[in-house]
Amino acid sequence: MEDIRIENISKSFDGFLAVNEVTLSIQQGELFSFLGPSGCGKTTLLRMIAGFETPLTGRILLGNQDITQLPPYKRQVNTIFQNYSLFPHMTVYENVAFALRIKKLPSSEIDSRVREMLQLVKMEDQAAKYPNTISGGQKQRVAIARALINKPKVLLLDEPLAALDLKLRQHMLIELMNIHDAVGITFIYVTHDQSEAMSISDRIAVMNHGNIIQSGPPDDIYERPASIFSAYFIGETNLIPAEVTAIEDDYVDLKCFAGADESFEIDSTFHFRPEVGQKLTVSLRPEKIAISRTKPRILDDINFVRGVIEDILYLGTHTQYIVKVGNLKFRVFSQHKRVYFDDKALDWEEPVWLFWHDSDTWLIDEVTPAGLDVGEVNVFERPIQMSRGIKRIIRSE
Amino acid sequence: MSHQHRHNQPSLLETKDLSKRNLQSWLLSAPSLIWLTAFFSIPYLIILIYSLLTPDIYEVKFLFSLNAYRDIFSGLYFKPFYLSMRLAMITTMLCLLLGYPVAYLIARSSEKWKNILLILIIIPFWTNFIIRIFSWRIFLSTHGVMNEVLMALNLISSPIEIIRTDLAVIIVMVYVYLPYMILPLYSVIEKLDFTLLDAATDLGASNRQAFFKVTLPLSREGIFAGSILVFIPALGAYLIPQLVGNQNALYIGQIITYRIKNIPRNWPVASALSLVMLIIIAMILLTGYYIYQKRRIRKLHENR
Repeated sequence: MEDIRIENISKSFDGFLAVNEVTLSIQQGELFSFLGPSGCGKTTLLRMIAGFETPLTGRILLGNQDITQLPPYKRQVNTIFQNYSLFPHMTVYENVAFALRIKKLPSSEIDSRVREMLQLVKMEDQAAKYPNTISGGQKQRVAIARALINKPKVLLLDEPLAALDLKLRQHMLIELMNIHDAVGITFIYVTHDQSEAMSISDRIAVMNHGNIIQSGPPDDIYERPASIFSAYFIGETNLIPAEVTAIEDDYVDLKCFAGADESFEIDSTFHFRPEVGQKLTVSLRPEKIAISRTKPRILDDINFVRGVIEDILYLGTHTQYIVKVGNLKFRVFSQHKRVYFDDKALDWEEPVWLFWHDSDTWLIDEVTPAGLDVGEVNVFERPIQMSRGIKRIIRSE
Repeated sequence: MSHQHRHNQPSLLETKDLSKRNLQSWLLSAPSLIWLTAFFSIPYLIILIYSLLTPDIYEVKFLFSLNAYRDIFSGLYFKPFYLSMRLAMITTMLCLLLGYPVAYLIARSSEKWKNILLILIIIPFWTNFIIRIFSWRIFLSTHGVMNEVLMALNLISSPIEIIRTDLAVIIVMVYVYLPYMILPLYSVIEKLDFTLLDAATDLGASNRQAFFKVTLPLSREGIFAGSILVFIPALGAYLIPQLVGNQNALYIGQIITYRIKNIPRNWPVASALSLVMLIIIAMILLTGYYIYQKRRIRKLHENR
């Protein structure tokens, strides 16, 4: 069942378009994330659902009700704010009771519901404390209890874990999932942390420059990125400029460019039918590449390329190799299993073979922006493509 | 807590440290201590002594007498006390009601506007106090600017008699003391986390409810500080009632002046009145402080 429907929503601040005609449906009970770098419009979108901002265009439906023009206090939507925004002059108990006190419910009912909520977030014994005397994780729990007590249809979470340290963040992430299971309502989660979004979400919408670049389940976005941005922003990847040289039944031949006059040939399966001569981008995840000082014996369906190790980063669970192929820098993750090819550790400046299955290359129907191969992030900072209608509305504002 | 601990078991090192620190803090506070002793404690001691002497036409007779206090507590000065108290309360309330929205507006303005607005609040201080009051006197007088303009606009047919009334006193008092209310309010509201208001409306509070349940309680310290800064000088107001007020109903500040200025003089009564005023103000401050401390202690206690 559809719970939230966002239709053609835009928002501008002083002529700057923060959200650009976004349309999206979120299902009842779903844990949905907006993921993107800061300034991508994810928080603005959330604030429009909460009612703190009025959209420039479009409408927002909650169930069958159009809530676009409703003030925040009339929406059955509650928010967990980035810095919790607990009322410092009220105890934990009073913070949680706030929404019910506003409704002027009898105090016996308030009491039983507050206790129930505090129990859900395991804060029963902290009820009399003031927010400035409890820890960050505890504040987070109080914020959850406070937002859930009014039985909202949708809970909005604005970077709720950003202020916590790593261990606590991982712990709270699991707690949040448990609470989501326990209350069964729709959660809309905003974050810039891709691992957070990947681990918690049923579905993710990747955002950049006010647009939804791609939405889908985490594994779908990770394995099948629809654009260079999704591939780049979610996880790590190698983006290789390539040109189609031949098309077979179930694979294509590609010529990959590794500098002005250097190139290498690979094969790839495909999910869209390119044309011969078409320029596109290959995304290759670092963990899918094997690395060895000897050339692999099996050659069917395997791509291989020769390079030189430029850097070795020991990361505990795995080692990251930076391997130079022409002017491309391949990132390769290798787990520490010494049962495979080379038992002697690889060293700096060592020539190596990189190889991977041709179904692990992923084709993106976009020309590789210049500079991306050497790690320049600002290739994504190009201006937003605005529709004529939006341009007119912004001008007339 | 740690302080007590030190007193119970002072190690040699700690004692030495402590006495050194004590000496330092004494030295640092010496200038203000000397200042306060010379210009506050000693004058008040003189006033106390004078209040216990016998009046004479010009000076005092050095004869012990409690007549001044007897006069005060017999209710002879009840009316001026009452008038002063009422004036101070009305002034404080009006300053709060007028000053709060202004402080709020400034606190929520952009950085550029904040500075401009704050300077506008402070600019009147650059003009001499007495000149400002005289300006008001001219402005409010029967044939003054206000009445002339209103009559020229045909809004009134005859001049409004505001000058020499309590209303004139209140208008000028509020004008003079408003900045003392706005500035502490501003400094508290400016620090307020406005996402708390988002949180309140998110939880179902209307803007009005959010204001009364969140903004107002969180600006309590500014209200307290501003009210004290306005109330205390307003209680002893002399110049403003003297220059624009009704001369048939005198405030306590005027009474004190008259007892010293008009012959036969009565130094003991003037002194006793001053002391009673001081005690009233001290009591108000201490009560406020006590309530504040009690809240704090209760908060700490609840958090155990």
